[in-house]
Amino acid sequence: MDTLPELTARLCRISEEHFIDPFSRLQWPDSLAHDQWFMTPELISLHGTGHFDALDEKQQKVLSFFELVNFFSINIHGERMLIEGLAKRLYRRHTETVSPYLHHFLDEENKHMFYFGRFCNRYAGKIYAEKKLTIAREYVEGEEEFLFFARAMLFEEMVDIYNRRMAKDQALAALSREINWLHHFEEARHLVFGRRLVEELFESHCGAWQQEDRQRIADELVYFFDATWKEFFNPEAYKDAGLEDVYALRRKALANDAVMKKHKTHRASCARTLYKIGLLTQERMQ
Amino acid sequence: MITESTIRASLRQWISATSGRAPLETLSDDTPLFRNGILKSVQVSDLILYIEELAERSVDVEQIKPGVFRDIDTIYRSFFAPDHA
Repeated sequence: MDTLPELTARLCRISEEHFIDPFSRLQWPDSLAHDQWFMTPELISLHGTGHFDALDEKQQKVLSFFELVNFFSINIHGERMLIEGLAKRLYRRHTETVSPYLHHFLDEENKHMFYFGRFCNRYAGKIYAEKKLTIAREYVEGEEEFLFFARAMLFEEMVDIYNRRMAKDQALAALSREINWLHHFEEARHLVFGRRLVEELFESHCGAWQQEDRQRIADELVYFFDATWKEFFNPEAYKDAGLEDVYALRRKALANDAVMKKHKTHRASCARTLYKIGLLTQERMQ
Repeated sequence: MITESTIRASLRQWISATSGRAPLETLSDDTPLFRNGILKSVQVSDLILYIEELAERSVDVEQIKPGVFRDIDTIYRSFFAPDHA
């Protein structure tokens, strides 16, 4: 296995060799007809519930458009958090080794925000608001650093499930498929880096953390994942798609057995690094 | 139209159930929610979703001012009182 400096050097090389310019690569039509799929039906938040089945295909396609705008909005908020945090960490004493790759990471995240933002503003005239709020608190040594990179990893694992699937879905509008592919292509490197850094940070700090610290950190990461998951169930997007009683719809969807099963499957998959390092137990993942 | 007393009772019930550390009968509208450890900071996102459902409108997180979740009185005044919005 590569050491962290070796991994950093390898990822830098790949980023340089596979540099993508999204500004010239993507074609942006003036408008997008809503009579096509924008999100793979199985990934739509209401899929698996009676509410989705009750819609005709035309309504499902309209919903798929606003769900994609919501998905891209979630990406924008997640990447803003990343960019702010990464910029703060450049060339600090403990990030000297990885700073060369943080430059690529930052550059790539900035480009991702560009195409997500452009899609949302150009075709929906909006970016849906973020619902996550963090209240400032005290941290023990290494906790804030670990939480930042672990949250970033969970977020990227989560959105990559969607990107991977939609990048291959030939039934989707070409622009949706292309953006999902572009994002997955670069996020795959970020994920390799993020998983490794989370493991190293945990190894460096966990010895000094008390049991209650580890419990608090584990709880915070599970809450973060769950809060991100809930953002996929956006009443504003449902309203824009012409659905009614949208707040009750969100509550019912989140309590639906098929949706809860999907939630657990995604959580177990996205948190496997946290399970591997021993921060989360199998019971906590259920 | 949902009344003030229903909103306050719903908030009390939700907070007690979510907290697991505050039986309903111990929770008043001026009990500090975070200072007393009844809610954790990570539960704020769920509280926002619940407020949206009760108010049936979106909450703009960027406009939220510090202290609005201090207690049920403050939550009511900040998100539901007629002079809000």
